[in-house]
Amino acid sequence: MTELKQELARAATMLDLGRYDEASTLLARLVSADPGSGRAWCLFARAHLGADRYPEAVEAANRAAAIEPTEEWPHRLASNALMHLGNHAEALRAAAESRRLAPAYWQTHVCVAQAALAAGQPALAATAAAEARKLAPNEPDVHFLSGKVALARGDLAAARGHQERALALDPSHSGAMNELGRIRLRRHDTVGAIRHFISAARTAPGEHIYSRNIDVVIVRSVSRMIYVFVLIAMIMLWIPAVTHVDRLPLALGFAGVALTIVASFAVMVARLPREARHLVRRTLLTRRVATALAVAVGGVAIALAAVVFVPSAELPQTLPVAIIITIAARITATARLRSPSGKAGPGNRTSPNQPLPPTRRR
Amino acid sequence: MEPDPLLESLRNAVAAMPDDVPLRLHLATLLLRSGQRDEAVRHIGAILQRDPGNGEALAMLTAPAGVSGPAPSAPPEAEASGERARGSAPDVPSPSDGVTPGGEVTPPNGTPAGGNPASGNPTESYDWTQAEDELRDVLPSMFVGEAAGSVSAGLDEARAYDAEHTGLTLADVAGLTEVKKRLEAAFLAPMRNPELRKLYGKSLRGGLLLYGPPGCGKTFVARAVAGELGARFITVSFADLIDMFVGRSERNIHELFEVARRNAPCVVFLDEVDAIGQKRSQLRNTPMRSAVNQLLLELDDVASDNTGVFLLAATNHPWDVDSALRRPGRFDRTLLVLPPDGPAREGVFRFHLRDRPVAGIDLAKLSKITDGYSGADIAHICETAAEGALLDSVSTGEARLIGQADLEAAVAEVRPSLGTWFETARNVALFANEGGAYDDLVAYLRKRRLI
Repeated sequence: MTELKQELARAATMLDLGRYDEASTLLARLVSADPGSGRAWCLFARAHLGADRYPEAVEAANRAAAIEPTEEWPHRLASNALMHLGNHAEALRAAAESRRLAPAYWQTHVCVAQAALAAGQPALAATAAAEARKLAPNEPDVHFLSGKVALARGDLAAARGHQERALALDPSHSGAMNELGRIRLRRHDTVGAIRHFISAARTAPGEHIYSRNIDVVIVRSVSRMIYVFVLIAMIMLWIPAVTHVDRLPLALGFAGVALTIVASFAVMVARLPREARHLVRRTLLTRRVATALAVAVGGVAIALAAVVFVPSAELPQTLPVAIIITIAARITATARLRSPSGKAGPGNRTSPNQPLPPTRRR
Repeated sequence: MEPDPLLESLRNAVAAMPDDVPLRLHLATLLLRSGQRDEAVRHIGAILQRDPGNGEALAMLTAPAGVSGPAPSAPPEAEASGERARGSAPDVPSPSDGVTPGGEVTPPNGTPAGGNPASGNPTESYDWTQAEDELRDVLPSMFVGEAAGSVSAGLDEARAYDAEHTGLTLADVAGLTEVKKRLEAAFLAPMRNPELRKLYGKSLRGGLLLYGPPGCGKTFVARAVAGELGARFITVSFADLIDMFVGRSERNIHELFEVARRNAPCVVFLDEVDAIGQKRSQLRNTPMRSAVNQLLLELDDVASDNTGVFLLAATNHPWDVDSALRRPGRFDRTLLVLPPDGPAREGVFRFHLRDRPVAGIDLAKLSKITDGYSGADIAHICETAAEGALLDSVSTGEARLIGQADLEAAVAEVRPSLGTWFETARNVALFANEGGAYDDLVAYLRKRRLI
């Protein structure tokens, strides 16, 4: 019995250190030797969760729940795994069960809040988060989750307040830093968002999601720049049709617009920290982004040339073609930006339309 | 020689009841009496597998060759029998690392501290060093990564830590010229030249932290460094560290350094130090926090009393190591051990193919197409190629050699495993290179166009 306790302590230590595979090996041995140990099954579920083996985690948590029906931990573990499997209704049910068994335990309320958030029930999540805050006002993770709930409800000020509180309690809470970046992004403050993402990546370099968020924001900015550029170009294409302007002023005006957009982007980049400027440079030089920019500029240039160089009499027929070329250029450029880079490993970029994944804390 | 009917019967009985320890012991005794030492050792090994503390079996192992039974006398042909045992090296687990079979405790020079309690014979006429040599080959080490033939420092200590001579030098490390050069400049030259060290006022305080992607030879380099220094080598693996956390961590850590001091000059190598030296802010487990504090205390002691204990550590994630552990006097010097370069990859291929039936292998080409692979990846490639050739031989019914095509197919199949590490390293290089701590990593990533 003592030996089992000691082995379980070993497994728990391995899990604390993030050594999920080693812990799994040890726990597989322990649960086969003593299948009646609820704690062993719980730790096994935790090891599976850490190694992203969610069906196995559910299975192990259910075994633990069957052995110890009054214990809340198995239900929390099951809820977490079910959430990852996309079974939000079951996840919420398991979380509610854990809260029923241990209502004075703040983790159970956090579990309900997480499950409710994933299930698209922000009001329920907010209630559970408030309860968790009452029980554990000095727990950074409670404020972190409360901030996520507030962000999901669109209350940016409250979200910011909670995340700042989480950081006050734990200055190295990289998840809170990342959330502050997401809040900034919702306020269209690209520079501020990148600064927060950089802080998060600096604090926890092993969490690749933070640096990917930076990449995503940069690519989004490029995408927005292309959008504005094409929109203005489309408006300019109409100028010869409605007014009698010479070709030269039109071409110069077009160039002026292009330069203004590039300058505004350059100003934005100049406000970024040094690391982010380096990343922007790298991102612009990637084949994906460079091709998108070339397609957008090339398409607009062709459309403009068609409008400018055709005789005035043929303009009514040429203008629709030019508009179609511009739209096609924009669609192609955006599609190119959204395509995954395809290169695995270092420097791999996520697509700009991919939602920023939920944050995790090491 | 006619087969002994009694032995035959006993063999059959053991085959029928392999777990019957007394029966097997009896057979081993008779085999030793009849001079069939190789087979006897195999049975003793099987006994020790089932009952590692079996005193009679251990005594038989300590008994010189040709001596029968648990109470042996001096053998007339010990050396010849030893040679036979060395050649056969059956798969017998070591009963307890660092303790000679029979519970004998030996000081570091390999001579016994006293008479053999199992034999009760005086030791003058017996060559203990040779006996240890024999057992070293007969009994493979219990734990992966530890060479057989280690010398124990004490009965209690030996249970946990083992001070050994690695027998390796940097010359045994293929390639990695840059690493060797920096190792020489940062660590070995000051160690080897005490006069110059005094002249320049260079202290020996502080250890060296090896870091780099997994499977790229950090442990091997550490062993080679110990060999270069002519020091004993104590490895503290991740499993040992976990034991420390679970048990009386402070006492265990103190004990480790005591063993090292008694075995000076000695290199203490903390493998996967990020486990023990993880940022204390990340450690919620109280025993782990106190273990880190104890480790810091011991490191400071080693730094102050300069007793010939050298500290080496390795980690895949130096950024997770508590900054307190990296202050001056502790692990204040770092060395990046990168994925193997061309010559190193050739060396790794050569090593993993040396005992396999191969023909026509173009090592230069293999080395070229495995740029970016770790040593562990290359080992996996060799394994995959062997597996392919084996399957092919099974399907055709005709054994064939492993060829270049097998290895190239395996290279195509096995992807480099370092992607995740480099993604994290990229983040560190971009965002967390405070004070230039990772300048060498940044330079490497720039060279490879990874940032």
